Amino acid sequence: MALPDREKAERFVAYLEPIQHQLAVYCSRALNRADETADVLQSAVATAFRDFDKYSEGTNFRAWMFRYVTLETLNRNRAAMRLPSELDEQQLSAPRTLDITSFRLETLLDDPDAVLDHCDEVVAESISQLTDQECRILLLRAVGDFKYREIAEIMDIPIGTVMGLLSRARTQLRSKLLDYARQHGLLSKGDSA
Amino acid sequence: MNCQETRRYWDLFYDSEGDAELHFQLNEHLDNCVECAEWFDKQSRLESLIEQRLGVAASVELAPQVNWSSVLTGAGVTPAAKSRSWLFFSSSILALAASLLLIVGMYGLPFGDESPSLSYLSAEVHQHVSAGSLRPEFESRSDIEVDQYLLNKVSFPVRCPPRKDSGFAVAGAGLCELSQQPAAYVVGTVDQRPVSIFVLSKDSLDAFPKQRAELQRMQLTTCREGDTEMVLSIVDRNLVLVAGNVDSAKLTRVLKSYGTYPHTL
Ligand SMILES: [Zn+2]
Repeated sequence: MALPDREKAERFVAYLEPIQHQLAVYCSRALNRADETADVLQSAVATAFRDFDKYSEGTNFRAWMFRYVTLETLNRNRAAMRLPSELDEQQLSAPRTLDITSFRLETLLDDPDAVLDHCDEVVAESISQLTDQECRILLLRAVGDFKYREIAEIMDIPIGTVMGLLSRARTQLRSKLLDYARQHGLLSKGDSA
Repeated sequence: MNCQETRRYWDLFYDSEGDAELHFQLNEHLDNCVECAEWFDKQSRLESLIEQRLGVAASVELAPQVNWSSVLTGAGVTPAAKSRSWLFFSSSILALAASLLLIVGMYGLPFGDESPSLSYLSAEVHQHVSAGSLRPEFESRSDIEVDQYLLNKVSFPVRCPPRKDSGFAVAGAGLCELSQQPAAYVVGTVDQRPVSIFVLSKDSLDAFPKQRAELQRMQLTTCREGDTEMVLSIVDRNLVLVAGNVDSAKLTRVLKSYGTYPHTL
């Protein structure tokens, strides 16, 4: 195999460096096993670098690169027979609005810090219980700060699907946080009801 | 648009998606409906706290786990040995791509094992902002808007930018990392000259032994990197550094007025 062109590598690294951290956060959150982050990034980077000649200068490198990492995380989780994938069908048929009593949601909305200050792990755990697509869409929005149109391109799905799944992912995540908060007595205003 | 319809569009409103007409209609309703305005505020605050947990909060513990040079080597990406500083890279790319997040890592900086000082890193960022090669991700001349913008972006409290009577005219804000310590920066001018204010958690001081030692001796320290004057102090739970190409007395005035506003929340 021919050695990669130094200039190509330098240009690639110059593009990659400002987004490395974001990619790492995204990748570790999207993976079932965070300890595979470096390995998955390496595979994604290798594929992207191979294809770098096809990248057109001046277009959105960040979105281009996130696509490779997204595909790699999906492959990795599927290979590991990730549990939520098996639940995809069941979750897709679930109602979009979850059964959150308005009172409980109000308490979370009124004092989100009380819950979220205790919830770093819960947030991470809860997103891993979303479907693969929902999880990635939510992360691309929250961590990658991508627009719906960009997410649609990265995921290769219609923009309407992005909107629907994002909305549902947010609802699901809030529901998980509420469950956790209720179980741990974090909602102060008498949520024992 | 009634209340129910308005609330259905919260996602689009929050994500700044949808067309101008929709946003006009939503804003029109929100201007006239206190209940919906409050509802939108609460939803947005919760969502941004969740996003913060997913993104920024993960950064500190995560950063050291990925050794990018071995990722690159393993992926067959082998550029020539680095002779440039990391900041040179990031700014040129930022100017091109207007990327939202600047991460001033130590990687590639010419310091060997020794961490660069807080003043060195802050001066670098300040110079890029002054030269226009780095634009803050949020631009506004309203201190309240800047305050609101930063409110949920970092895991430590950030107070409102200095008041105008300190001579500081705010222009925007952004996020960065200085030696892997998350920081918010507020940019503006004093006497029409660029001034940047860096706000970190007080705990970040441990990453900068030189500044820690100085601040143990005195309340406020001054230093200089090239043309950039800097003043540094601890204000409440923050480590605050003000950098600019103006004399340090003026920078001190800005620093002393940092956080004198009561927080809006
Ligand atoms: Zn209303």
